[in-house]
Amino acid sequence: MELWEYSAWRLAEFVAQGQLSVSEVVEAHLTHMQWQEGTYHALITPMVEAARDRARALDTALAGGADISPLCGVPVVIKDNICVQGSPTTCGSRMLERWVAPYNATAVDHLLGAGAVVVGKGNMDEFAMGSSTENSFFGPTKNPRDPNRVPGGSSGGSAAAVAAGYAPLALGSDTGGSIRQPAAFCGVHGLKPTYGMVSRHGLVAYASSFDQIGPLARDVGDLAVALEVLGRADDRDPTCSSRPRTTYLNAIQTYSLKGRRIGMVREFAGSAVDPELHAAMVHAARICQDAGATLVDVSLRDTIAYGLAAYYILAPAEASSNLSRFDGVRFGFCREAEVLQEQYRRTRGEGLGPEVKRRILTGTYVLSSGYYDAYYATAQKVRRRVAEEFDVAFQSADVVLLPTSPRLPFYFGEVGDPMAMYLMDIFTVPANLAGLPALSLATGSGRDGLPLSVQLVGRPWGEFDLLGVASILEKAFGAPQPIQGTGGKYS
Amino acid sequence: MREELSPVIGLEIHVQLATGTKIFCGCSTDYIGAVPNVNVCPVCLGLPGALPSLNARAVELGTLAGLALGCRIRLRSRFHRKNYFYPDLPKGYQISQYDEPLAEEGFIDVADEKGGTRRIRILRLHLEEDAGKLVHGAGDGRLEGASCSLVDCNRAGVPLAEIVSAPDLTSPAMSREYVLALRRLVRHLGVGDGDMEAGSLRVDANISLKGPGESGGERVEIKNLNSLRALERSLEYEISRQRDLISRGGTVARETRHWNEVTERTLGTRSKEEAQDYRYFPDPDLPPLVITEGFVEACRRRLPELPDARRRRFVEGLGLSEEEAAVLVEERGVAAYFDAAVAAGAPPRRASAWVRTEVLRVLREERRAVGAFPVLPDTLAALLQRVESGELSTTVARECFHALRTEEISLDEALRRFGGGKPSSEELEALGRRTLEENVDVVEEILGGRDPKGKKIKYLEGLMMRALRGQETPEAVRRTLEELIFKK
Repeated sequence: MELWEYSAWRLAEFVAQGQLSVSEVVEAHLTHMQWQEGTYHALITPMVEAARDRARALDTALAGGADISPLCGVPVVIKDNICVQGSPTTCGSRMLERWVAPYNATAVDHLLGAGAVVVGKGNMDEFAMGSSTENSFFGPTKNPRDPNRVPGGSSGGSAAAVAAGYAPLALGSDTGGSIRQPAAFCGVHGLKPTYGMVSRHGLVAYASSFDQIGPLARDVGDLAVALEVLGRADDRDPTCSSRPRTTYLNAIQTYSLKGRRIGMVREFAGSAVDPELHAAMVHAARICQDAGATLVDVSLRDTIAYGLAAYYILAPAEASSNLSRFDGVRFGFCREAEVLQEQYRRTRGEGLGPEVKRRILTGTYVLSSGYYDAYYATAQKVRRRVAEEFDVAFQSADVVLLPTSPRLPFYFGEVGDPMAMYLMDIFTVPANLAGLPALSLATGSGRDGLPLSVQLVGRPWGEFDLLGVASILEKAFGAPQPIQGTGGKYS
Repeated sequence: MREELSPVIGLEIHVQLATGTKIFCGCSTDYIGAVPNVNVCPVCLGLPGALPSLNARAVELGTLAGLALGCRIRLRSRFHRKNYFYPDLPKGYQISQYDEPLAEEGFIDVADEKGGTRRIRILRLHLEEDAGKLVHGAGDGRLEGASCSLVDCNRAGVPLAEIVSAPDLTSPAMSREYVLALRRLVRHLGVGDGDMEAGSLRVDANISLKGPGESGGERVEIKNLNSLRALERSLEYEISRQRDLISRGGTVARETRHWNEVTERTLGTRSKEEAQDYRYFPDPDLPPLVITEGFVEACRRRLPELPDARRRRFVEGLGLSEEEAAVLVEERGVAAYFDAAVAAGAPPRRASAWVRTEVLRVLREERRAVGAFPVLPDTLAALLQRVESGELSTTVARECFHALRTEEISLDEALRRFGGGKPSSEELEALGRRTLEENVDVVEEILGGRDPKGKKIKYLEGLMMRALRGQETPEAVRRTLEELIFKK
């Protein structure tokens, strides 16, 4: 077994026990990464030399008796909308092509504190807007499970990097499914934590009341460790909860489904979902039942009917304001002009891509006076309604089962219509609307070897149940393996 | 033709809160004279990924001001985003409280023309962040002809309280009084320094005209008012401009006009078909601001005596005139100095005169704060007690005071120097003998029982006190005289 095939916690264990040096672990991943990257383009910025330096520094610290855990020596890929000090943080946009972050995101600080080694910045849809990573200014990422297909998005680079074995762990951000859907497309696991679990400080905002940083990995245990590392209070993000956190890794080993209730969504039957993905969900339900869980019927009628529409009003509204700072005045791309308005027009006209502009326009429109009540205020009501529906569902269920995506990974250019692309998010946006934790679990492969998946949605702060159920399902389905490589060019 | 049209004026005042650090980050608020862009960080520069965290001190100062204005404090208020593009606005939106402000429905009493007071309603007090500053690259620093413009973000994120009055003001003079009253309050509370020239107190005026029984015409907002004079002059200008317009059959357009200091006119800004749409919506980065009843009560307990109450106390309790009291309460520090002197035993009327003349004159001349005044209130009190008792003449007291102030010597030392010091008992006796010798006739009249009311011995006492320049108490002088006259 190659080093790049191991899970994060296992690698950290090797390092902790002195069986491997950090440099050995990192070098194995860097070599593999450099062989694959020419094919997949999962990264906007590979950080080879920085990773080597960091590995040496960690080895020196360990030799000096330092106690660094629980991710010591673990290579990680960071989505390129999360600030890593001294590295470009482009958000997949021409607007920030040359912007170097002057500070670390809190999540990055936590990873570094746990001993992780950043090996690259992951490709993404521009400003996290998209479901295929085709909206990256730097070109699309290819799906390691089938390079003719998209890796999903917007955290497509992070998902592809984990699937291709660049790193056992990556950070993504999830506003309407941007961790879970690419995880599903690339055949890895992805967790979007409860809103307020992980600090957003240093995450370039798309839609602030939805955005949440979370891990992608090939091992449920790695998601658990990452969550322990990432999920800490932070007074630099007032929306980050000060609620005390728990530990997950040890607890989920002994998780039992006896007496647990799995919610099956009633309205779901008629939805246009790929039959294989539907079958995967039914299969997952049966495994839970066999392990002692009860299946219960829950209703998410209004959520399924109106959630997506509400999301595509509220998220663009916040985005239109969040992206106002990209005006070419203080940082980033700028096209100077004699007249201020002209400078704004050219800077934003040339610096931002079409999907970003579309959402800014949508958001500007729905916030305009005269339209605010009809759109923004109404969508907020839907948002509250979604939370209520989940509240009711969680009175009878501990975890709700849903597909992550209605479709299997599609070909590049196959979904051209923006509305059709938005429909990819129908099962992921509900968790963001209600601020709930949700986990996309890789459940093996279907036709043409394409990855299958299910989604688990939990109560607020119900990550323990999600990880517990996921670990049992993972035992049944088998943990996903990284692709063995295409023999691509060394880059 | 419509001479009965009367002005309806409402003011929006921005008060910079004296927090030390900015409203959403830890950067210093001290931007006056600072090198551009030194007090900045990712948050106040609006860098990607930065998030605001609310400064508790700004909430505290805002609450204090709200309470002092008699406002209802909202236990749950909220921050919105006001979206617009301008190079001095780093994030492309200003974080400001909108429909759920920190404080609502208060009032402040303002002196009116007839010597009475008029209660002006306060609609709201809300918290917001300041923008940065543009520096234009032309030689004279003006926009016209500038080859480039530079942005200084030192001021971006400085906390402001915006205080909005109801349209209760009816004249430029009353508007001026309102600003003065508010400034006094702000300074008394210590929530801000209220310096209009430095921009830490900024006034925008809304003015319309209305006939009797009318609801009033469209209002015009006047901006760029950097002094009380500008406020009064611009309102006067705008009243006559609107009167002329209406009398010629025109209508006043709702617009924003800028006051030009040089031409002394208001000038309409680019006429916009529609009002700018700021697309306000709740800032998703900041949870609603929730404060407790206990916090509000703690603030209430910390409220100092307010200027109005203090003035009343000075008039009714200490017997000062309205004018004297008004001067003393103008600055909280001066009022406190006066209060401390009185508490240390200074006679109030005399202390009032001395503080208003000797102390305030020096403070103004030397442009220093009363806190740094070298003569402490209890020293002044000790000095004035001696004047009151006749022990010191006013002239000597002034000499002493000057020395106390400029040389920072002790009171005893000053008294010794300017009064020659207290005489010894031998010196006192010698002076007594000399006085008696020079006034043998008076002594004989006293000994002959022809001084039933003690006027004659009082005369001798006066002679001695004068000779002593107030260096001994009248009692001691009287005792010496009596011993020399009766026991010889």
